[in-house]
Amino acid sequence: MKVKFYSYIRDYTRCKAVDVSGCSTIRELLCRLCELYGKKFHDAVFKEEELSNEIIILVNGRNIHFLDQLDTSINEDDEVTIFPVVAGG
Amino acid sequence: MFGWTGNILRVDLSNGTVKKEPLNLQDAKMYLGARGVATKIYMNEVDPNVDPLSAENKLIFMTGPLTGTFAASSGRYEVVTKAPLTGTIGASNSGGHFGPELKFAGFDGIIFEGKSEIPVYLYINDDKVELKSAEHLWGNNVFETTDEVLKETSMDARVACIGPAGEKGVLFATVMNDKHRAAGRSGLGAVMGSKKLKAIAVTGSNSVKVAKPKEFLESCIDARNKLKAHPVTSTGLPTYGTQILINILNESGALPTRNWRDGGYFEHAEETSGETLTEKYLVRNKGCFGCSIGCGRVTRIPEGKFKSFGEGPEYESGWSYGANCGVRDLAAISKANFICNELGVDPITMGCTIACAMELSERGILSKDEIGRTLKFGDAEAIVELTEMTGKREGFGDKLAQGSYRLAASFGYPELSMSVKRQEMPAYDGRGVQGMGLAYATSNRGGCHVRGYLTSPEILGVPQKLDPLVTTDKAQWLKIFQDLTAVVDSAGVCLFTTFALGLPEYSAMLRSALGWDIPDEEILKIGERIWNLERLFNIDAGFSKADDTLPPRLLEEPMPSGPAKGKVVELQEMLIEYYQVRGWDENGIPTDEKIEELSLR
Repeated sequence: MKVKFYSYIRDYTRCKAVDVSGCSTIRELLCRLCELYGKKFHDAVFKEEELSNEIIILVNGRNIHFLDQLDTSINEDDEVTIFPVVAGG
Repeated sequence: MFGWTGNILRVDLSNGTVKKEPLNLQDAKMYLGARGVATKIYMNEVDPNVDPLSAENKLIFMTGPLTGTFAASSGRYEVVTKAPLTGTIGASNSGGHFGPELKFAGFDGIIFEGKSEIPVYLYINDDKVELKSAEHLWGNNVFETTDEVLKETSMDARVACIGPAGEKGVLFATVMNDKHRAAGRSGLGAVMGSKKLKAIAVTGSNSVKVAKPKEFLESCIDARNKLKAHPVTSTGLPTYGTQILINILNESGALPTRNWRDGGYFEHAEETSGETLTEKYLVRNKGCFGCSIGCGRVTRIPEGKFKSFGEGPEYESGWSYGANCGVRDLAAISKANFICNELGVDPITMGCTIACAMELSERGILSKDEIGRTLKFGDAEAIVELTEMTGKREGFGDKLAQGSYRLAASFGYPELSMSVKRQEMPAYDGRGVQGMGLAYATSNRGGCHVRGYLTSPEILGVPQKLDPLVTTDKAQWLKIFQDLTAVVDSAGVCLFTTFALGLPEYSAMLRSALGWDIPDEEILKIGERIWNLERLFNIDAGFSKADDTLPPRLLEEPMPSGPAKGKVVELQEMLIEYYQVRGWDENGIPTDEKIEELSLR
């Protein structure tokens, strides 16, 4: 599946997007990404075992908060977006 | 006097006279300042059916009690008049340093009335206030005007002015201050131009006093600490500016694309995003008076045919010229935005009006002969050229200067104007962010995002996560957002502080500044009073429930793709609930009980 990164998350990943396979939930995917990108990424995304409230994750444009949160299941053809809480207007 | 200075200037441009008057303290207690007090004064003095560009209309500049104080991001002032673009109450606020300087000169606000025979500008140096000829400035752009006025008055002065667009009655001309900041929406600059008022320069040597300095300092430090601790106001906005939202709204499937025709996903969004702006063109960020956020962008396009330097673009203009015109060239988008600042044009309405013209042209409704060039979505040169022509009302720009509604209606296709009450909607597709659909339909100044910014809970989850695809609870949330926004605007602080602060923080700053002893709820009630006052103006000006609507595209054409695929804005059910929550009757008119409860008449 394709995972896209935005805003200062890119400072931790050093890339705009990555292809990942073999993860069936968002939690598994995040753990895989933490292995890839290290402590700074981990600290930005997780607060203890749960998703940091400063991070928003979309699966095909839907916020996982309105799906099954970290247990949201994902398929190989899904698109996942990860961004911090930032705003405009 | 604490918070307020207690003084208002009244300038009769027909007679060339200037009077100093006391601020009506009863009004100030009930309506706070800035947007609230200016609207109250305006309604006391002007017939709602006035022609906005006539001598009978008045134009009010007003600060709030926190403007120019140590309060967080306290650089704001409001311009209030009847808006030429919409015919509704017009209220636009701006940052920079002009508002605080007006307080330092000893004035809460200025009421301009009548119409001058020759171009003039007002120079305020503390108590010394004079009207000076601006005949030699007429025709100059915003930067030239500001530089010349500073030279003629004081290099320490702060200048608000109009550009050629305001002089020529472009219906979405801005009032600009400190060169790059704008009271941007609804065409208030055209009212200033109709009065032949080119500029206001102000310099002051006083400070703003507060009632309880120790408590006030503590409440301000608390607010500033919260701004520093919140990811939006400490990191997101300073680093990337407002345009950081481009990718996020795009990924959420709610970035309106090609005059809202192609749904909420723009395939080239990344090229026009805040991330790309930061990487390629950002020189540095910039803050207004007393601001620790610094969302402003100082931007340089170093080379190429769009080589230029200026400030911005913001999210809204990055979208209006970008995704909404199908343009992927960020250099062209930036250049078009800079021209808006130079000529004094609202880039939201400008970009949206060009997008509307692009659709009219692609459909064969507008011909190449009428436009003077070919015009298709994606044409980067067109957004730059047409903006310049509109600001100067040259060629086809003269038609664009009326905004998209009048343009589309003149060809028999008003439904292709993506506007509410004739003002173009900003960059959030209500089909994918349902609460924003209700916000647009009910905003007191037409299509506008900064009266009740439900994008914050619906997309960003601040202060609480609301599902953007459902209508549940949106009416209640919108009422709270609209009321609190009216408080923030009227206090004289920046709306962006609301990402980190809430009613308790604003109330603490206001109470200690003004020496008030009232609960938070009473302060929110002031916001509700202001909202209802504006509503009453619009009703008296001829607006009704029928105007609380959205373009047919949002109500009838389902979103073609993305998470909101198949959805339209479910406006009717939200609107019925909204009127109930507001205590209005089924026609959207405030009931006698509500009017009495708010002591409105």
